[in-house]
Parts: sequence; structure tokens; C-alpha cells
Amino acid sequence: MNKKVAAFLAGAAVLSSAAVASAHFQMIYTPEMAMNKGGKIPLKLVFTHPFGAGHTMDMGTPEQFFVVRTRGENAPKKTDLKEKLKPITWTSLTNSGQAYEMEYQARGGDHAFCLIPEPYWEAADEFYIKQNTKVIVNVGGEPGAWSEPVGLPTEIVPLAKPYDRWTGNVFQGQVLFNGKPVPGAEVEIEFMNHKPELDKNAFAKEGEVEAPQDSFVLQTIFADENGVFTYGIPRAGWWGFAALDLDPDYTYKGKKCSRDAVTWIQAKDMK
Amino acid sequence: MKRNLLFCLSILFVVTTNAWAHTPLCSCFDNGDDTITCEGGFSDGSSASGVAMYIKAIDDRVLLEGKMNEDSEFTFDKPKDDYYVLFDAGEGHAIKVPGKEIVE
Repeated sequence: MNKKVAAFLAGAAVLSSAAVASAHFQMIYTPEMAMNKGGKIPLKLVFTHPFGAGHTMDMGTPEQFFVVRTRGENAPKKTDLKEKLKPITWTSLTNSGQAYEMEYQARGGDHAFCLIPEPYWEAADEFYIKQNTKVIVNVGGEPGAWSEPVGLPTEIVPLAKPYDRWTGNVFQGQVLFNGKPVPGAEVEIEFMNHKPELDKNAFAKEGEVEAPQDSFVLQTIFADENGVFTYGIPRAGWWGFAALDLDPDYTYKGKKCSRDAVTWIQAKDMK
Repeated sequence: MKRNLLFCLSILFVVTTNAWAHTPLCSCFDNGDDTITCEGGFSDGSSASGVAMYIKAIDDRVLLEGKMNEDSEFTFDKPKDDYYVLFDAGEGHAIKVPGKEIVE
């Protein structure tokens, strides 16, 4: 084989395997999911490939961004946050993309931040992606309605607190579409391997771990007949869960649109 | 009558054991308008409504007292001198929050 052709084929193989091995994940990130005290917290909304801090997609203007605060047995309080979002440029290891940020004043209890993004056109796959995302931050240890659905069209409802998992615990969630469980839902999982550097609006260049093979970058599991999935957490840090294509017939602007549900957990080591 | 008494005692017992089986929580925040709001609760999510609240000077004089409202909140005017907040849900279930540590 001609050396140039061989080199091209090898390059193409690397590119294609990279594209297959990592997945899109909508992030709603703040450094600490389980805060001891309230105060102002930064929020960064980034649509990216978290394990490899790879290609970061340009987010459109979010359709909705709000928080539902619950504390103990008190009634939930929903607050619209969309107008407080400011556009930023987030830098990955390979490019930069439009993202959003804001500061939020957090008091006690659970704060479920919910994003309904504008669908993203994925030219490589020729379909849109719309990842409704929920991240729950707790202040002070007083639980709220973390185990209740917020009511997003596609939603992962945690069956364990997403902010209190030790390394080695399992995390369970139930995948819902329009409030009903999705049997056998496909769930992709990625580790946030490059720490977000908030002052730079970028990922750290160095990753925490190296995947021994592509399968480990993006893990895929399936929910049971009740839409419940279970994942054993092997390492402290942020883990993303994306339940894919929960409304297979859904279209946007005449094209296929994958309606996904995303959530994140932050696990801690026992020490 | 005896039955009623037993029923009341059993309710009392349930309430009491429930209150002892979890950790009390109280966080206070400066509202930025010379008032402070304290939020109370328990680690299992149960309500702190009705829990006694004391605002005390450093020498333990009571400056203000009241109870957590139905939302388990208590708002008071910020004292001018040093103070602390006492969330008093009974023996072993009291929390002291120093005024100096209360921020927005």
C-alpha cells in the first residue's frame, strides 16, 4: 500500500473512532453540588464532549432555563433564570463554542436547575439534538423534592440523591418521556475528565484518567422495563447521564431531532 | 377513655421518636435590608415549623424570640451588637449560628 494512502486511512480511522467514542453532553456546571453554606454560585452551560474535552458545540438561545427550589416539605418555588444568562465563549481542547453563564444566589435545600435548549443541528449525523438537562445542587444538607419529576418533556428522575454519592455507590435514575417511564431507554455515560476552569471558561488541558480503549470513553447501558437504570460509580467527580432519542418520531424544522434527557451527579471519595 | 389516652400517647411517641431520629439543620442569611432570615429543617426533610427560635446577645440575654413559621422560616431585625441565633428543637437538637457568620 502506498504510504500516503495508508497514512490517510489511519487518520480517517482515528477520526471516525473518535467521533463514535464520545458523545454530546449538555452541561450545567458549578464546582460544588453539595454546598455546606449558601451564597453566590457560578453556573456554566456548555454543550460539549466531556470525557475528552472535545468539540464544544455552539449553543443557541435556550428556550427555557429555570430553577425549582424545594426545601423540606415546603411547596416548590420555580424561578425563571433565562434572562440572567450571559453568552460566553467556552474553550475545549480542539475549538471554542458559544456557551452561557450566570451567578445564582443559593439558600438552603435542593435547587433543580433545568435547561430546555434550542435544538442543535449536528451536521455529521444530519439530525438535530435537543438535550433537556437537569442538575440538582443542595445547600446545607436539607433535602427537597430531588426524587420528584420537575415536569420536563424528557427527564431523568434520580432514585438516589445525585449530590450525595460516595465513590463505589450506585446511582439509579428513571427515564421519563412526558412523565411516563421509557422501557429499555438507551443511556450514555461519560466522566467529566477535564476539570472546568471557570476563570478561563475552558477545560483543563490535562485529563484525570486515560481510557484504555474507546469503549471506556463513552459507556452505554440500557434501562429496565420501568425505565430505571443503574450505574456503579468508579471514581469521584462529575458523571453525565444522557438518555437518548426518547421521542423517535420527533422532528424540528422538518428534520429528525433526538430528544434526550441529561442529568449529572457529583461523587466524592471517602477519606 | 383509656383507649384515647393510649392513642394520644402513641402519637406523642411517634412524634418524639421522629424528631430524635434525624439531624436538625438551620441556615441563616442576611437579606441585605437589615433583616435576617433563618431557614430550619431536618436532614430527612421533615418540617421545622413551630420550632422555638431565640436571638441572644453574647452574654446569653434573650433579645428576641419566636417560632419557625409554616415554611420553617424565621425573619428578624438584625441586632446592632454581636448576637447569635439559637434554633431550639429540644435537647440535643439545638443549633447555634453566630451572627458574624451570617452573610448574604
